[in-house]
Amino acid sequence: MRTKLSLFLLAVLMIVVSSVSAQSNVVVRWWHISTNPPEQEFWQVIADEFMAANPNVTIEITVLENEAFKSRLVTVMQSGEAPDLFQSWGGGVLWKFAEAGLLRDISPELDANDGAWRNSFSAQSALALYAQGDATYGVPWTWGAVGMFYNKALFEQAGLDPENPPTTWEEFVAAIEALKEAGITPISLGGKDKWPGHFWWVYFAIRLGGEEAFLKAYNRTGSFADEPFVKAGEYLQSLVEMGAFPENFMGLTYGDQFTLTANAGAAMELMGQWAPSLYENAAPGVLGDNLGWFPFPVMPDGAGNPGDVLGGGDGFAVGKNAPDAAVAFLQYITSVDVQRRAAEIWVIPTVGGAEDVVTDNPVFASIIEARNNAPYFQLYYDQFLPPALGSEVNDAVEVLLAGMATPQETAERIEEMASFELE
Amino acid sequence: MLRITLVRSSLLILRYVILGFLCIIVISPVMTAFLGSVRTTNEFLSRPFGFPEGAWNFEFYLDILRSNSFWRFMGNSLIITSFTMVLNVVLACMLAFAFSRLRFRGRTFAFNVLSFGLLFPLTVAILPIFIQIRQFGLIDSYWGVILPLVAFGLPQSTIILRSFFIAIPNELEDAAYVDGCTTFGFFRYILLPMARPAITAVAVIQIIGAWNEYFLPILVLNKDVYWPLPLGIMQFQGQFGTDWSRVMAYVTLLIIPAIIFYVFAEKYIVTGLTGGELKG
Amino acid sequence: MSLANTRNLSEVKVDEATQIRREKRNNAIRKWLTVGIFLLPGMLVFIVFVLSPIAQTAVYSFYDWDGLGPLTNYQEFKNYERLFEHSAFIKSVQNTLVIMVLSLVIQLPIALMIALLVARGQLPGRKFFRAMLFIPYVFSEVITAIIWLYVLHPKDGLVNTVFTSLVPGYQNVAWTSDPNVILYSVFAVLVWKYFGFYMILYMASIQGVPKDLEEAARMDGAGEIGVLRYVTIPLIGPTIRLTIYLSVLGAIQQFVIVQILTTGGGINNSGSVIGTYLYKYGLQRFKLGYGSSIAVVLFLFTFVFSILYQRFVMSRDYQDD
Repeated sequence: MRTKLSLFLLAVLMIVVSSVSAQSNVVVRWWHISTNPPEQEFWQVIADEFMAANPNVTIEITVLENEAFKSRLVTVMQSGEAPDLFQSWGGGVLWKFAEAGLLRDISPELDANDGAWRNSFSAQSALALYAQGDATYGVPWTWGAVGMFYNKALFEQAGLDPENPPTTWEEFVAAIEALKEAGITPISLGGKDKWPGHFWWVYFAIRLGGEEAFLKAYNRTGSFADEPFVKAGEYLQSLVEMGAFPENFMGLTYGDQFTLTANAGAAMELMGQWAPSLYENAAPGVLGDNLGWFPFPVMPDGAGNPGDVLGGGDGFAVGKNAPDAAVAFLQYITSVDVQRRAAEIWVIPTVGGAEDVVTDNPVFASIIEARNNAPYFQLYYDQFLPPALGSEVNDAVEVLLAGMATPQETAERIEEMASFELE
Repeated sequence: MLRITLVRSSLLILRYVILGFLCIIVISPVMTAFLGSVRTTNEFLSRPFGFPEGAWNFEFYLDILRSNSFWRFMGNSLIITSFTMVLNVVLACMLAFAFSRLRFRGRTFAFNVLSFGLLFPLTVAILPIFIQIRQFGLIDSYWGVILPLVAFGLPQSTIILRSFFIAIPNELEDAAYVDGCTTFGFFRYILLPMARPAITAVAVIQIIGAWNEYFLPILVLNKDVYWPLPLGIMQFQGQFGTDWSRVMAYVTLLIIPAIIFYVFAEKYIVTGLTGGELKG
Repeated sequence: MSLANTRNLSEVKVDEATQIRREKRNNAIRKWLTVGIFLLPGMLVFIVFVLSPIAQTAVYSFYDWDGLGPLTNYQEFKNYERLFEHSAFIKSVQNTLVIMVLSLVIQLPIALMIALLVARGQLPGRKFFRAMLFIPYVFSEVITAIIWLYVLHPKDGLVNTVFTSLVPGYQNVAWTSDPNVILYSVFAVLVWKYFGFYMILYMASIQGVPKDLEEAARMDGAGEIGVLRYVTIPLIGPTIRLTIYLSVLGAIQQFVIVQILTTGGGINNSGSVIGTYLYKYGLQRFKLGYGSSIAVVLFLFTFVFSILYQRFVMSRDYQDD
């Protein structure tokens, strides 16, 4: 059944591709941030394949490191000239570009042939983050959920059941106490990079207030100083006071954070789907089968659904002057075949027909399940919200983690910026 | 007499101790980078300063030196640096000559306007600069990096050269004209040779600046075939994880030519910065 | 000019006034041609790539502009008002001033002392020390910051390792994030990078002080301190005044090292300076209009300072103007 579907998709693709190749010479400018050699090589191979099948298309690739990419994209977009395909996390920044008319709507291509391309995505909530109104400006090619990675061996060492990780806040706190008792750092965290800390605050808010609280604050019928957001800060503060995080964690970067987990220096880490490959790179074989995953614990009196998920991933957005060949190439990137091959290397596929490549691994299976079945999927605040507000959330939570602001002040600071940035 | 020598030599020893200590402070960060480069990233991140647990591992250096991209980056750096330096020095010499030896209305005003450039770092006007570069069609061209670098270096170079040119006695100029020399002749055959130390110093300062420039090439150069060396660090920085051992190996490789170059050029930097007063 | 005059005199014999006038005009044309040839290429490059972008920045600063789409939302001085009401900006200005003051009262005196140590009297190996101590100046700012990030690492960076082995009971300090120390860490790195530059300037100047003046003071019974205080230091006054000027300009313009070391300003902007504030609140947050107003304020700061300083402090060092 699945192979049939992918064969059908391949056929659709061939039609699209051949209709494109009738045009004269076109150049597709493509910016991605996969600097790791195997990933970079993979994208090059995919581009070469596409060019071989379409001799009139030239794909010019620019590979930039994340921070360099961001500052460069801001400048280039502001000068009104978008690349044809470029890295995008969806959400606020993408919508800002869309509002300024800098992106191309690809919904005609997504909806062609009874929506064959659109329906091939299993991560529909992710696809929605690249859309505004009826228009869609890009597609995701790797997508996941943030959750708790944990070290089963360390759990055992602390007398905890490695196969039954905590599900509620009470159990979670008990686990932290047990780990501390055993002299193990309970949770790895690098506060200096800000965004890992923001995961915590947002997840508390998701569990406490659910989709409703967020939408109210976002649509301005409520506020980011409402109770769930203040309480989120209080819970986070209590974790800091418990000593759940490493010594001097505000001075550590994300690099320190995953290195600590990878070397079994801490028992848990709240992180996205990319974490396992970083652990394996940093300290090959140390975690191995001892790596487990569980969803963020359920909070007492929380209004959110236990299945609600915070997450995100990578996609490519389409610039306003992008030729049809760019869209065809994007279609090729998210074809079942390419997604399957990418999943062998590092990608959590967004296309249904490719998921089984990674689901042998129980960690990835739970991540994909959480992603696909979330009643409410929240993209990271620092991507979803307008850039100024997203970066203010990160800053405010950092100050809270450093113990330099109360939960109330943190929520109010975010609300102040929200009242300015959101209509 | 003996006591005096004793005091003298113990003072000298004290000076050596202090200076030796300072040298250690200067060198130890460089050692950190080097020690990071001969261990794995995991070792480095687990213990940022320390000697390798096992054998010293020079594999990262070999990898970098064996890669084509490193040598291509090196070639690009040489092109960008040398053109920036030459163009800057030529233009600055001409400007400095006009501002020191030619008399014309608006000279002080023009010179002041140029000096204001000193007050503006390149980063603050980056968007308009980028728009300008694009309008001239210089994206993905060495010139898109070279010309702005030359422009932002002009105020400093001109100020240094002008103070040298002013110091050259007027009598010399008069004598040259009496001998039938033209303005260009005086400039080319008398002034420039005399100002050679200053010109070398300006050139060296420009070389250091252009060699180290990071921000501008990122904006201007799409294709990595045009990238200069500093941008090569990006190869080792992933979206989430950075391969610090390779970064440190790369950084060490970048430092080495800087030091070698510096050892040769030190004399000129010094003369340039100080108006040639320094003795060995 | 003088040459042109003499030639004019010798040709005054020619009786026709028109001839003289034509000659004068030709001379004027030739003079401006010469000026033009020397001046235009450089000024053109400067105007195109420095002056006009700066002017453009000044224009943006009066608009509420996210940098995307056309420049339409003119709003007078609102960006500037918002700027001076923003606590993070005030903090960044304060931090910039702290770094500036520390540079003046700590960095320059240290550089001067080291210069005195290296430059005066008999010192075999002087060249070696001079070269060693100047080395950090040739490193790029990006490399300097990346290296120091790990020298100051909160876990077992070099600095914490050294203190742990020297001080009993020492607790590791998070040098680049703890709000109480972050600014001083930044300053220490700036000292490391730039003291050699000032040291070289001082050394040159010290060696220019005539030996016989110092000898004469010694003969009059002055101690070594007295010689320094009454002879050497006053004589290198112009260099000291120049380094103060450069040091202040340098402090105001800091960006790259602070940005990397503090990951964009530190907790609650505890390590933020004007340069990093501009990058974060202007460029990263898509507030180009606002960011431009920061750039203009930054420029006005340096401009006013440099006018006042040149006028009242450095004017006596310029005999040639």
